[in-house]
This record gives sequence, structure tokens and C-alpha cells, in this order.
Amino acid sequence: MPIPAIRTRGLTKRYRDFVALDDLDLQVEAGEVFGYLGPNGAGKTTTIRLLLGLARPTSGKAEIFDRDCHRQTVEAHRRLAFVPAESGLWPSLTGEETLHILGRVQGGVDLAYRSELIERFELDPTKKVRAYSKGNRQKVLLIAALMTRPDLLVLDEPTSGLDPIMEEAFRHSVREARDRGQTIFLSSHILGEVEALCDRVAILRAGRMVEVGTLAQLRHLSALTIEATFNGPAPDLTQVPGVTRVVVEESRVHLQLQGPIAPLIEALASTDLQGLLSREPSLEELFLAIYESPIDFAQGHVSTAVAANEGNRP
Amino acid sequence: MTATLTGPRSDETTPSGRHPSTIIARQVGREAVRSGLLWGLAFGVFIVLQTSAYTSQYKTPVARAGLARAYGTNLGLNALLGQAKAINTVGGWVEWRFLGILSILGSVWGLLTSSRLLRGEEGAGRFDLLLVGQTTRGRATIQSLTGLAVGVMAMFVPILVGTIIVGHGASVGLHLGQSLALSAALISGSVMFLTIGSLTSQLVRTRERAAAFAGTLFAVAFALRMVADTVAGAHWLIWLSPLGWIEESHPLTGHDLSPLWIVLDMTIITSVATWRLAQIRDVGAAVFSGSDTSAPHLRLLGNPVTLAIRLARSTIGGWLLSVAAFVILIGATAESATADRSGSSGIGQALGRLGAYGSSVADYLGLTMLMVALIVAMIAATQMTAIRREEADGHLEVLLVRPLRRSSWLAGRVALSVLILVVTGVVGGLGTWIGAASQNAGISLGALILAGFNVVPPAIVLLGLGAMTYGLWPRKTGVVVYGYLAWSFLIEMAGGLRKVSHWLLNSSVFFHMTPAPATNPNWTSATIMIGLGAVGIFFGGFSFLRRDLQTDAGEMS
Ligand SMILES: Nc1ncnc2c1ncn2[C@@H]1O[C@H](COP(=O)(O)OP(=O)(O)OP(=O)(O)O)[C@@H](O)[C@H]1O
Ligand SMILES: [Mg+2]
Repeated sequence: MPIPAIRTRGLTKRYRDFVALDDLDLQVEAGEVFGYLGPNGAGKTTTIRLLLGLARPTSGKAEIFDRDCHRQTVEAHRRLAFVPAESGLWPSLTGEETLHILGRVQGGVDLAYRSELIERFELDPTKKVRAYSKGNRQKVLLIAALMTRPDLLVLDEPTSGLDPIMEEAFRHSVREARDRGQTIFLSSHILGEVEALCDRVAILRAGRMVEVGTLAQLRHLSALTIEATFNGPAPDLTQVPGVTRVVVEESRVHLQLQGPIAPLIEALASTDLQGLLSREPSLEELFLAIYESPIDFAQGHVSTAVAANEGNRP
Repeated sequence: MTATLTGPRSDETTPSGRHPSTIIARQVGREAVRSGLLWGLAFGVFIVLQTSAYTSQYKTPVARAGLARAYGTNLGLNALLGQAKAINTVGGWVEWRFLGILSILGSVWGLLTSSRLLRGEEGAGRFDLLLVGQTTRGRATIQSLTGLAVGVMAMFVPILVGTIIVGHGASVGLHLGQSLALSAALISGSVMFLTIGSLTSQLVRTRERAAAFAGTLFAVAFALRMVADTVAGAHWLIWLSPLGWIEESHPLTGHDLSPLWIVLDMTIITSVATWRLAQIRDVGAAVFSGSDTSAPHLRLLGNPVTLAIRLARSTIGGWLLSVAAFVILIGATAESATADRSGSSGIGQALGRLGAYGSSVADYLGLTMLMVALIVAMIAATQMTAIRREEADGHLEVLLVRPLRRSSWLAGRVALSVLILVVTGVVGGLGTWIGAASQNAGISLGALILAGFNVVPPAIVLLGLGAMTYGLWPRKTGVVVYGYLAWSFLIEMAGGLRKVSHWLLNSSVFFHMTPAPATNPNWTSATIMIGLGAVGIFFGGFSFLRRDLQTDAGEMS
């Protein structure tokens, strides 16, 4: 069995009595591009700080390629690179100097690839960090992480401040990394980025993981929007299993359907149906629903989506 | 180039309903008040306790005249605190002693506080937010200066209360006007160096450099006053030193407060210059900024320790230069300062710590090395706060997410700090020797180099205390190290009075250092101090390895 890139067991972080991360069980397989999502303050950065050994877990453990994130930090760090959301770079060093010192500390820089990245991200390495814009500082961090071709890239909102062209360069670099077999753990608020890149995603809310799976699975879990038009007055569909949020407009019905579609088809068969439209929710709708719906912690998932996190891992 | 940010929109208010146009003043003011009030209280209490100790110990005019004879000819005290002229009266004694002590501590407080609140905050980018569309750079600077002024007031009030309490004592008898004049003179060092620190904050880019620059000016002012007060015929030099103006103000024994007006003029000029310079530079930049682009210089970029050297080299260089200039000057005047005074301080021994310095050249240089010890300890404090700031500003995280052990980083950083302390001590000894040798003072190079090593152990203790705090309560590092340093200094100054208990004296780290070259270094207590420091570093490091990294946007110390 291959070693997973990231594995956490019951990982929990409390700040006094505030639970920032609650009992997280997460497994990211080697070679995956894994999206890590959630509203502000959900605990994404907290998770990453625990994975990097910057913070101590209150309980539970985390491993990177089977190395304990806390006790074998250096061994774990040999195989990963991290891009933070905010730069702590030294203002008086130039981009080039920054890449040099970071490369020396990390080791194993692919110099040719580094030059390629500098060109791809259109970075002027002679400028001092203090003179860089936010986006340019982010580029330095991205290049510094990518240039060593680590087995695992941990990215916390890596594209904040990047323009659309650079966003594209970023996506290209991530795909390139994936094609080389590198694993990517991507925390992001940009859904388009997640949709374009990620094989699987996990969704975090208030410190709890509420969903994990492929995007297709998540879509499947969520409600279908259905619009039915009838010749004549609309029948009563509220009693059909799985149907919710029924809105009747004369001969037209809007409804949401969760679970199997057969009972609805059966109910419609005996009516004078003129047209039927069904569509999956957009990614935005899906996430808004998950981010906003009330949390049912007892069941460990949000109520709009049907359960069954277990067994979703490929 | 003038301020080009969007003009003030005074009709806007923050969610709390206050005008955003005063945000900077309120933010700087809040921090300055917190610190000013704390130190003001400490000084106020110090003044009351010291004066009551003096009046109860020296009850009769005869006793006071005896003290005046001893102190008046005590070269070390004259060098450190200014000339002790009319100290046979309580007023004269109060004036001499507290002006001498507070002009030193207050000035250092002033330059550290203003460089921290102006340059430190701006460097961390926290002013950018405030400046966007809400105010201009010139106005922001006026606000900062206003905030600092409020901080000075917070320091002034407890000092005034202290002098009024002292003034009410039967044997002192000050009227309110005198208490006011005395208190004004007592805070004038703080006022001047707050504005000088504000000015240097416009000139250079980092808080460390701004403080080092202002610190150099302080060292020059101090050295000038010291020479003026000890070398016969050189007293006119006092008018070249801002600290000299404070000494010359004599708020209780003199009739002419005009030197304080010079202080005020100086403060106004510096403030206006600060304001003008702020207008001609960019936010986050400085007048002497250097270029924003450069060809790569990869020297010293091989590992985190050399990186720390590279980032701090100009600040460290500044410290070394001012120490060297200070000791060479003092060394060169040691002969003439001590020429006609030998044997005049016979009862000094009985008067305690500072009085124990006699009047030979060696004694005088021992006192000089005590001052070097203060500076070296101060550098230890700045090193520990710099270590904390690397974490607070997120630089440490950038390194530690890579294959670098926390323990190696901290060990390297502390070792570098120790090296800086040793080099500074040795430069102090060497410089003193160069100065003294130029006058054939007859103190050997070996003795002065040893004296240079001798000043390092107290700084190591401070480093250990800082490391311990850093491991356990990282955000308190600055408060603890500077607090203990100031405490030790005050105890050292208070030591001249017999009433001070031995326990209190022991709590000053400098008490455990012998005044080499006046006496031989005490290597036993030096070893103990180094051991204590090492224990602190070890346990601090141990806690550091086991805690969360704490970056902090709101940290101000
Ligand atoms: N050092 C700390 N002390 C106290 N609370 C903290 C600390 N660090 C994080 N938190 C809290 O933990 C929660 C999770 O924060 P975290 O930074 O992990 O959120 P996030 O998911 O990364 O959010 P965002 O999308 O805004 O980056 C927040 O409510 C935050 O206030
Ligand atoms: Mg975050």
C-alpha cells in the first residue's frame, strides 16, 4: 500500500476554550490534488500550521509521508514546500537574494526550473521585497516552493493578489507538478481554481470536516433543481420522497430533489407533463449551500447534503 | 515631492463612530501612555524613596556638608551624573541626583519608544492601512508626535506627584512652582530624545537603525557632558550637549531656567524637521532609503545565522562605532580628569557602590567600563527583542517551514548575540586603551582587554532572562528585558545610599561585576553569571521548542 502524503488522526487544536480544529481525520493520497475549503475562520490555516509543525496539536496526530509532523518535523519538511497566504519575507533583500537563501535552507533547487518559473511568473528578481506589490511577493513565495520540486506542496490561498494571467501560470505549474507525481494540498477560496485543479475536496466548517469527496460526488450529494411544466394545473408533489422547497406557479413547479429520482418520475408518470428541466447546482450554489446551511454536528455533515462521507475515498 | 495621498476626508467615521483622522494619534498615544505612565510611576516612587532615605540618613547640616565634600570631589559621580555642586542642601542633592539619573534613563526611553512607535509600526505596514485615503503623511506625523506628547504627559504627572510629595517633607520644602520646574527638567531628556528618535525614524528604514542612530547621538551628548564635567577648563563643552542643558538648568538651586528653553527650542526644531522630512518621503520608505533594486549580493546568504548578520550588520556596526568613539574619548581624557584629584575621595568607600570608585586613572576607567557594561547589556536586550521580532513579523516561519530545526535556529541566533556582546566588550576595552595610551596613562592593554571581557557576563544574564521569557511568554520579551535592565540601572544608582538593603543591591546584575580595571575581574562571579545565563537560555530554548510559533500583527514591544 502506498504511503499517503498526509494523514491525520483525531487532530484537534484548541485556543483556550475555543476549538479551532475538532477531531480531524484526513487522508490525502500521494499524487492527488486535494482541495481544502471552508468559510473564513473554518480552521484551514490552523490545520496547515499543525501539519507544518508550527503549532502543537492539543490532541491527535498528523503525519506527512509517515513522518510525525511534530516529532520528525525536519524529515517531514525535506519532502514538502509551503506557500503561505501572507509573506514574512525580508524587506531589504531582493527577489533573487530571497530565492537564494530560501533555496539554501530548503536544499535541492532545480536551477533550470527556477529560471523557467521566474520567466513564467514574469518576476523581476532585482527588486527588493519591500518594493514588490502583494502579487509579486506571492510570486516569490510560489517560485521558492515550486523550484525544489517537493513531493508535497502545501498551499494556503497561494494566489491571493495574482492577476488572471498569473493565475493561469499558477494552474499550469500545479498541473505540471501533478503530472510529475507531486501531491498538492490546496486551500483556496477561488472555486474556479478548485474546480479546475482538484481531484478531491474536503470542506471544513467551524473546525469540523463536513464533507469530503470528488466534486462529482459532492454534486451528487446535493439537491437537483427541477422545473416541471404541466398542461393544466400542477399536481401536488410535496409528498414525493426526497422533494423539498416546492414552489408552484400556476402550471409550473420548481422543486429540489435529493436522493433517488425514481419516486418523482413515478409520480410524474400519471400527470399531464408538458416539459421537464433538471440541472445540477453550480459549484457556487453547492458551496453556498454547504457553507450557509445549519450544521448538524451529531451527524457530522451539513443538512442539505446527504451523509455518506465514509467510503468516498477513491 | 509632497504628500500625494488622497486628502483627509474628515466627514468619514470609523464603525466605532470616531474620526479616522485621529486613528494614528490614538494608537501611538495609547502605547506611549502605557509605557510613559509605567516609567513615570517607577521614577516617581524612586524619587520619593531615595529622598526620604537621604533625609533620614543625613539629618544635620554637618552630615550633609560631609556628604557634599565626598560627592563633590567624587570623579565617578561627577562623570556619570554631572557636577555635584550644591548638594549640601536637600534641594541641591535632589536636583543633581535625579536630573543625572533621569536624563540618562529618560533619554534612552525616549529614543527607544519613538523609534518603536514610529518606525517599528510603519515598518510592519500597519500605518499603510491607516494612511489610505484618510490622511496625509505630514498629518500622520503630527498625529504621531501628538501621541508621543500625550505619552510624555503620562510620564510627567506621576513624576510631578513624586516631587510634590518630596517637596512637602519638612526638610525639603518646595513650593508648587519649584516642583513644576523640577519635574519639567526631569522629563526634558525624554522629550528631547522622543523627538530625536522621531527624526531618525524618518531618516532610516528600520526601527533598529533609527534607535541606533539616535543612540549614537545620545552617546556623543553623554560623552561631551562627561568630559565637560570632569576635565578642568573644558566646562564650556557642556553647552554643546543636550544632556548638558538639562544639567545646567538647576531648577531648584539656580535662578535662571533658560537652559530649559534651549531644550524646548531644540524639541520644536526637531519636531518641525521630522514633520518636513515625513512629507518628502514615501510611506514605508526613508530619506536615506537606498535603491529599491539591486544586483544580487549573495554574500552571507548561506544560512539563517549569516542571514541575521547580514540583516543587522549596519545596526551592529553603528553600536560598535559609538562604543569605540565613546571609550576613546573617555580614555583620552582620563589622565587630565584625574590629574589633581588623587586621594580626595577618602570616605567614598563608606558611601557604597558608586562612591567606591576612587579617583585614580584605573578607578576612572573602571567607571567607564561600567558604562560599557550598560551598553553591552542594552545590546543584549536589543538582540533578544530582535529575535522575538523575527518571529512576530513572520520571518521565522518562512525559515522553519523548511528543513531547519528550531533548536539550530535559536542556538545559532543566540551564539551570534553572544559573539556581538563579546566583540563590543573587547572593542570597549581596546578603545579605552587606545585613548588612554595616547595620554600615557599607564594601564596595560591586557588589563583593559580583560576588563572588556569582564563586562560581558551581566549581558549574558540578561540574554538568559530574555531567552526564558521568549520561550514562555514571547510577547513579553521586550518588556521583561528592558524592564530588568532599567531596574538594575536604578538599583545601581540607588546604591550610594546605605539604606538600600543588600537584597535589593543583589537584584542588580551589575552589582555582581567588579569594576575592572580598577580591581581585578572576579572570575568566580563571572562564571556564575554565565552559568545563570546559560541555564536561562537552555530552559527558554526548551520551552520554545514546545510551543506554537506566534506571529503577531498587534505586537508593540
Ligand atoms: N493563535 C490563535 N489564538 C486564538 N484563536 C486563533 C488563533 N489562530 C486561529 N485562531 C482562531 O481559529 C479559527 C480558525 O482560524 P484559521 O486561521 O484556521 O481559519 P481559516 O479557515 O484559515 O480562515 P481564512 O479563510 O479566513 O483564512 C478562527 O476563528 C481564528 O480566530
Ligand atoms: Mg487561512
